[in-house]
Amino acid sequence: MARKILLVDDEAGFTELLKMNLERSGAFEVRIENDSTKAVAAARDFMPDAILLDVVMPGMDGGDVQAQLQASPQLSGIPVLMLTALVDSTELSEGAVAQAGSQMVLPKPVNLPLLLRVLDEIVPAA
Amino acid sequence: MEEHSIVESVLDNLPVAVFAKDATNDFRFVLWNKKQEEVTTIRAEKALGKNDYHLFSQESADYFRSVDKAVIKRGSLMKVPEEIIETKNGREVHLRTVKIPVHDKETGRLLVVGISEDITEQVKSREQLERLNRHLVEANQELQQTQMQLIQAEKLESIGRLAAGVAHEVKNPLALLLLGVDYLSQGIAPDDPNVEKILQQMRDAVERADRIVRGLVDFSSQRSLSREPTQLSRVVEEVLLLVKHELTRSNTKVNVRMEKDLPHVFLDMSKFEQVLINLIINAVHAMSEVETKLIKIRARSESLEEVVKNQGARKREVFRSGDRVVILEISDNGHGIAPADANRLFDPFFTTKATGVGTGLGLSVARRIVELHGGELTLENRTKEPGAVARLILPTKLETAKVHTVTGRVKTEGKPKEIDSPPSDLTS
Repeated sequence: MARKILLVDDEAGFTELLKMNLERSGAFEVRIENDSTKAVAAARDFMPDAILLDVVMPGMDGGDVQAQLQASPQLSGIPVLMLTALVDSTELSEGAVAQAGSQMVLPKPVNLPLLLRVLDEIVPAA
Repeated sequence: MEEHSIVESVLDNLPVAVFAKDATNDFRFVLWNKKQEEVTTIRAEKALGKNDYHLFSQESADYFRSVDKAVIKRGSLMKVPEEIIETKNGREVHLRTVKIPVHDKETGRLLVVGISEDITEQVKSREQLERLNRHLVEANQELQQTQMQLIQAEKLESIGRLAAGVAHEVKNPLALLLLGVDYLSQGIAPDDPNVEKILQQMRDAVERADRIVRGLVDFSSQRSLSREPTQLSRVVEEVLLLVKHELTRSNTKVNVRMEKDLPHVFLDMSKFEQVLINLIINAVHAMSEVETKLIKIRARSESLEEVVKNQGARKREVFRSGDRVVILEISDNGHGIAPADANRLFDPFFTTKATGVGTGLGLSVARRIVELHGGELTLENRTKEPGAVARLILPTKLETAKVHTVTGRVKTEGKPKEIDSPPSDLTS
């Protein structure tokens, strides 16, 4: 059965291409949410196996979304993988990544084989 | 006899040099007063009976002779605004001379009478003044150059501030490109409907990255001010692209409303972008404590009367009444300007930001740039709502540049001016 991935990023083009890449093998079913303020609701609705979360987004940033996910007993167990195009480490801490306790951060541009390996690790195929 | 000595003593006590040459006798001197002795440092007994070739250099004598001949030929007074004689002790004496042809009825001789005023001191102070003026012009040029360097330095600071954000904006299209490459490199089925979409996305991504990189390069270029007719909306668009990351990061919304068909304004894109980036980043900083951050950008066109009435333009003399101007306002809903800071906002190095966050040059440089555009920049608290508004008033015409010119010294030596007046007036 395909693993369910929720992809939260305001870059519509990026999410579309990542979805195509992930779904190609048939191993994943990807749902896109380009509006970060709707991310938590989408997670509740879709109940993904993992969430890929952009850091810098308008409206609500990745750190805030992560904190809300953590605060929800229903969602706090879902592994979250942060994606970021941020370029220096000070910005990264500003993004509240560490504080929100995300398991892992991957830099953008995303190395697809690496992403697939990480996903296999945090969401093992059934 | 007595008459003659009266004339002689009057001549010797005149504050001007007086001499006379006999044109009928090889222009030999027949009169040489005290002041003439003083000016030339040649005593009368040595000069009388001699001509210019005996007393002065060949070059000077040639010149004096040519004027003398012209005076005789014309038969009227001639003025030599400035001539220089070099005395034996090497001193240069500047003279303003009038030469008059005189017909001596008694002897039948034709004389050239000269009256010279020593203007050496005047010339010296004039030259001194010119030197000072030149220094002033140089200092002014240096100041302008320094100002341009300051503008550039401030720009480099903004680039540093924007670099991370711009890099982020470039990385996003790069991320997209890589995903496209990943997809396409895994082999494509001939009927894969995704391929066309992916290629289009990749094309857009390249264009996006290209646009932002070019924007940054254009912005960072150092050129002298070159103004071109520009659509303000285009500048605003470019600037918002450069600060997009700062706006997203700070969760600031921007609402842009610009009148349709605004007249063109004459802008140096790169320098003007610097102003807008500055004002926008300032606005973002001012709203750090605010929950819903909103920047409003408004532009409209008005005639100058309306501006003065509505806004009380700071410097009305910048514009001519009736001129069409474009007003650009950037407002925020931040903490506004503290009354104590209001008068110092545009002072260089004045900053309310923490050490290392801002140099305090931003607004002073921004105002200078706007002034170089013939416009004005003011910053004040909004009247009805919290926050501040930066207001730019820009001319829609290219005003005549203020040019500082040095009045050059017109060399008159050797070119006597001819004055029409009959010799009889002076000889009778």
